[in-house]
Amino acid sequence: MVIDIPFIWTALKEIIKALPLTLMLTVIPLIVGFFIGLVVALIRVYEVKGLSAVADGYVSFLRGTPIIMHIMLIYFGLPMLLQAAAPKLAISSIPVSVFVLTALSLSAGAYLSEVIRSGIISIPKGQAEAAYSVGMSTFQMMVRIILPQALSQSIPNFTNIFIGFLHTTSIAFIVSEKELTGAAKIVASNNLKFLEAYIAAGIIYWVVTILVESISLLLEKKATSYARGGVR
Amino acid sequence: MGKAFDITLVGDFIPQLIQYLGVTLQILAVSIVLGIIIGIIAAILRLFRIPILSQLVVVYVSFIRGTPILIQLFLIFYGIPSLFQLINIDLSKVDPLYSVIVAYAFNNGAVFSEIFRGAVQAVDYGQTEAAYSVGMSESQNFFRIIVPQAVGIAFPNIANTVISSLKDTSLAFTIGVMDMVGRGETLIASTTHALEVYISLSVIYYIVVVLLEKIFRWFEKRVNRHKSGEVSSV
Repeated sequence: MVIDIPFIWTALKEIIKALPLTLMLTVIPLIVGFFIGLVVALIRVYEVKGLSAVADGYVSFLRGTPIIMHIMLIYFGLPMLLQAAAPKLAISSIPVSVFVLTALSLSAGAYLSEVIRSGIISIPKGQAEAAYSVGMSTFQMMVRIILPQALSQSIPNFTNIFIGFLHTTSIAFIVSEKELTGAAKIVASNNLKFLEAYIAAGIIYWVVTILVESISLLLEKKATSYARGGVR
Repeated sequence: MGKAFDITLVGDFIPQLIQYLGVTLQILAVSIVLGIIIGIIAAILRLFRIPILSQLVVVYVSFIRGTPILIQLFLIFYGIPSLFQLINIDLSKVDPLYSVIVAYAFNNGAVFSEIFRGAVQAVDYGQTEAAYSVGMSESQNFFRIIVPQAVGIAFPNIANTVISSLKDTSLAFTIGVMDMVGRGETLIASTTHALEVYISLSVIYYIVVVLLEKIFRWFEKRVNRHKSGEVSSV
């Protein structure tokens, strides 16, 4: 079989229609995961009694098992739980995407909580002490002093996780989500040109990844300009 | 969903799945070893700025880090037989296990090359200067002074990569490899108790990961015992 190069372009035009869904499957879990992660990170940093153990277990389990397991566990398990909790609810009418988004959000929450936690810990204690000494409450200190520094320092880590989850959306095709890899598989099966379709999908992922990395570099420069050394 | 959820089935499934844990670990071990070799070669090419090859390494690493592991699996699985067909070698009957190992090896190779490159660059240049000042050659400096220190710096990242690679191997079943997840899929087909199978798989993965983390932490303490100060806190 010779590689059909023109077909790669045809396949690309067809597959790229799935890019919006893929981006949605990336961004929504990351946003929800950010809030989950923030809460979990704060619980772990402040070592809240009781909740801290749960938070540790949550992060440990979700980082210690493959993401495909999370998707499958939620996909098969959540409907059962919901059915038991609310028998009148029409479970079968809930679209698959909801379960995929839930699983990915929980996953993202675990990974992001580690990033946020390490960001918070890396801020020198002096910042917190200075905030208290001018009379700020803990909440004000967190929101105005610690988190802005912690988050802007963690931008490279956030980018890595963003790209990681962009790539993780490709696993969703196993539960019939029509994101990029799913679309590639359909194009491949319809035309029996597997290699070309997957090359096209690979190119789309690669270009999007490079774009995200460039944007992140710009963001990082702007966000950490206050902490730059040197003479400018 | 099939029949009713039965938590005791998890106890039945775990022994059946553990029989295939060996296949999963074999894929992991071979792809890590090959990945380390590829990574060392790629890192050296970039560190010593070999003219064309170092640009190729940049593209290689960018591609591997820019595409999902699933796409890489499919590309190797469908692409290598095509490539070999050009020189008239028929690879269509080859066990997908080998495709999978090659794909994971290339994936790990890119990750390791960045880790090694970063680790070597993290070693203080003063070490190299001192080596040259006592008359060592470039390669003597590299292998006797830089590499031992770089390994200590790289170790936490290598450990993380091994664990992350273990989780990536869970995708091999999509091209028909009969590893642990592959066995899980056949169990699902025969018993329709998907949730219990996935719970069993998750438990096994989690236990293996926790064990690996403990082993790596112990190893790291041993390797760094001559150093004062802390080990990485991951």
